[in-house]
Amino acid sequence: METSRPVVVKRVPERMNFRQARQFQQEVRPFFKIDRPQIVFDLSAVRLIDAAGIDMLLECMTEASRRDGDLKLASVSAQAAVVLELTRTDRLFEIYETATDAVKSFSSFLPNAVRQFYPGVGTAPAFSWNQRDGHGTHHAPKETEEAA
Amino acid sequence: MDVKAVILIGGARNEGTEQLGGIPIGLLDVLGRPILERVLDRLEKFGISGAAVVTEIPASSVPLARGSIRPGMQWSEAQGSQFWRAAESAFNDFAQGGSELVLVVRLGAYAELDYEDLVQFHLDAGCRVTRVSDGAGIPLDTFVISASRRNDAAYLFRHELQEMRVPCDDYRFAGYINHLRDPKDFRVLALDGFAGIANLPPCGKQIKPGVWLGENARIHRNARLLAPCFVGANSNVRAAALLTRGSVVEHHTEVDCGTVVENSSILQTTKVGAGLDVTHSVVGFQKIWNLRRAVEVEIEDRQLVSTLRSAPVRMLNNAAEMALMFTRTMAQTLLGRKSARTPELREALCQPAAALKTSEHTREEGLPAGDLLSVRRYGNE
Repeated sequence: METSRPVVVKRVPERMNFRQARQFQQEVRPFFKIDRPQIVFDLSAVRLIDAAGIDMLLECMTEASRRDGDLKLASVSAQAAVVLELTRTDRLFEIYETATDAVKSFSSFLPNAVRQFYPGVGTAPAFSWNQRDGHGTHHAPKETEEAA
Repeated sequence: MDVKAVILIGGARNEGTEQLGGIPIGLLDVLGRPILERVLDRLEKFGISGAAVVTEIPASSVPLARGSIRPGMQWSEAQGSQFWRAAESAFNDFAQGGSELVLVVRLGAYAELDYEDLVQFHLDAGCRVTRVSDGAGIPLDTFVISASRRNDAAYLFRHELQEMRVPCDDYRFAGYINHLRDPKDFRVLALDGFAGIANLPPCGKQIKPGVWLGENARIHRNARLLAPCFVGANSNVRAAALLTRGSVVEHHTEVDCGTVVENSSILQTTKVGAGLDVTHSVVGFQKIWNLRRAVEVEIEDRQLVSTLRSAPVRMLNNAAEMALMFTRTMAQTLLGRKSARTPELREALCQPAAALKTSEHTREEGLPAGDLLSVRRYGNE
């Protein structure tokens, strides 16, 4: 089972071209500096993503893998899903329907949460995270809290 | 009997329907020829040779329907409310020219009508106007109007083909109809053309069963074409590309190295970047319409999808690129720098798509950590 390490959920901005991708990468860099980072990118707001945005995702994934952690994607918008599929990068990530599922997946295997061609894309994500700051929020999986 | 036709391209009921990237579907190529041209051919087959085309789009888009403009054809453009006035004017011109019947066809739906039977129905019914509808009673925006009934025609045009001055019988058509409302219908039309359900034979030479090539289409010897598929005139399919499951690549299109096109249509003058997966989509005008997700995605990144320019502009671009390459090579030679090494197989396989390698966004370390390996599902590699 998983430890009590936190899972960071980060919402990806609406546009992910070269400039925004660089800016976003600078923002999330500290989260990847820790040992075995557990990161979830919420892509529900993404409306435009280009090669630089995809490259940024790959770099983040590489960075997480290098530190024995993982980067997972959640609530992938239809626009982002199309570009991920177009660039053949969809198969490189674990993709979940909601950020909650993605967070839970760090502590247990969720057969029902594993997407099959992005079910539910286009529907509102069921994830009820802290909307006030709209940015990264630390989550601890429920099971982890109980174990702790 | 003197029968003429007025073809209307535009005037859609709902904004954003019956068009792709702002171009009416009627002007786009399907299996090598524009739908408009196919409709005109069908009219000619039934002896209706005089036609006037009224379009709602600007003149710059007209070359898309190359070959549709024929000698003696009236072609007019009008936007907004002027569109219906232009249609009425075209009708009046035919009426004054001595025509007995005028056929009004809005593209719109593609229907393989038996125009001879339609005209006979109109004459037998003795109506001023005959409206064509499908088996379910949905109007197809196709009418036969007696040329002497100008008031009825004017009323019809002023009500955007939705109301008639005097009620009349519907001509129910049970043959092939495609309403062409959205990209899905457009794609279905191409597949129906392959299957022979619609009378839309691919325009090209059949090089093997189910694979058609247009004139001057270039296919790399390492590219793979699986039936049914169509590659339009002057298109270029590069090495290790794969076209499969009813894919259509229209004229002056480029599919770059290693790209997989599965159950998709690439519209004319489009370039699809290297190493991509185009599945269940219609691609063109820097947009992707994904049919499985029913979503339209604009692609700003020209490395993924771009629109090819005309031949002279391309030639100038190529010349400029070549000059730049020579300059760079000479500078490298003078400075004694080594050229970039060719990546090894394992390293190359770890790269997801060649189009992702932006020049200004190079990685410091090429290989991801761990034994990550991405393998192509298709192709020869």
